[in-house]
Amino acid sequence: MSISAQQRGIARCTECGKLSHLPDLGHKTTAACPRCNTELSFRKPQSLQRSWAYTIAATALMIPANILPILTVISFGQGDPDTIMSGVVKLWVADLQAIAVIVFIASIAVPVLKLLILVILMLVVQWQLPLSRQQCTILYRFIHFIGRWSMLDLFMISILVTLVHLGNIATVESGPAATAFAAVVVLTLFAANSFDPRLIWDLDND
Amino acid sequence: MAEPSHIPHEFTACPDCDLLLQTAQSDHTLEGRCPRCKAVLWHAAKHTDTVSFAAAISGLILFYPAMTLPILKLKMVGQHGSNSLLGGIYRMWVEQEQILAVLIMLCSLLAPLLHLLLTAVVCFSVRFNHYPSHFPLWIKYKCWMQSWNMLEVYAMGIIVAYVKMMHDGEVTVSAGTYCLSGLLLCVILCSQYFHEEQAWQHWEKNKPA
Ligand SMILES: [Zn+2]
Ligand SMILES: [Zn+2]
Repeated sequence: MSISAQQRGIARCTECGKLSHLPDLGHKTTAACPRCNTELSFRKPQSLQRSWAYTIAATALMIPANILPILTVISFGQGDPDTIMSGVVKLWVADLQAIAVIVFIASIAVPVLKLLILVILMLVVQWQLPLSRQQCTILYRFIHFIGRWSMLDLFMISILVTLVHLGNIATVESGPAATAFAAVVVLTLFAANSFDPRLIWDLDND
Repeated sequence: MAEPSHIPHEFTACPDCDLLLQTAQSDHTLEGRCPRCKAVLWHAAKHTDTVSFAAAISGLILFYPAMTLPILKLKMVGQHGSNSLLGGIYRMWVEQEQILAVLIMLCSLLAPLLHLLLTAVVCFSVRFNHYPSHFPLWIKYKCWMQSWNMLEVYAMGIIVAYVKMMHDGEVTVSAGTYCLSGLLLCVILCSQYFHEEQAWQHWEKNKPA
């Protein structure tokens, strides 16, 4: 029989990991971690509501991020705007398959997978779906691990815009999708951080 | 403010599944994992603060050249172009992409700098048993900065940009890339060898009343 810390009235500090007995709190009273003074709670506050809000916002911004041009290469006055996907296709056609795969994973697969997994995890908690808790936790760790790699495209844009700044011969300009994509990346990071994986295991404890 | 009471050190709760566990002192082998969800619960500390302190200082020395020296150089139809990390942020700001510029600055400049700086301060304090005021905040900020530090992704961005431009012109790797690689190595060592729980316990034992 496994017992969760919450069932014993013990809360784990989110910042320093120290355990403390959390007394029954009335409204508007808070308890702070004796070691680092962070506010204590059994679970991340409003975990699901916040995760849903960030996930929905990120999903909505996926549309402009993928439809609008993200990068325009202008050589000898000829502009050629690229969306995320057309950039990947161009790399593939130019026999740069390895790089095309890396960019595809970082800019398309990772954000989509991340949003999909977040929705699955939140539905598991809300509808008490009988999915393996172990596998859900692995998915949660997976999105934490891969989330930062979406920044790849943005870093590459900042490098190219600066490197290819050759006046009339060639310049690279960023497009409006870049800002939308940055918002998607940041919002998915926030969504993953607000989700509390302990909620999945709580389903077994009831 | 309610006052939470003390829980002895031999208890721990899994951060990912909240399983309450009792850990005997002899259990402190190389690494401890949660029996239910396999989350890492603790890992052994061996000379760790020395390595992370040394890595943080080396990283800080490499920081300025890594940010300002040219990373890649491009030669196209007789014209030369180059980029540095700082130059990239400046260019984005100038080209009306202020939001992007701030985000890139946070992930590739500010977070690595503060991560190294705060690690050095925390290791120094633990080593010499002298704690500045607000020491817990320093450790907390260090953890936040570590999570926003995305230098390894930036390094991958350099590789992708290099391969992408290979056919259009003559691209050469410059001094900034080498400094950045060194800085990245320092950042990795710094986060791998820093033992947070140990720093917290040191502070708890020796904190000024
Ligand atoms: Zn704490
Ligand atoms: Zn666990």
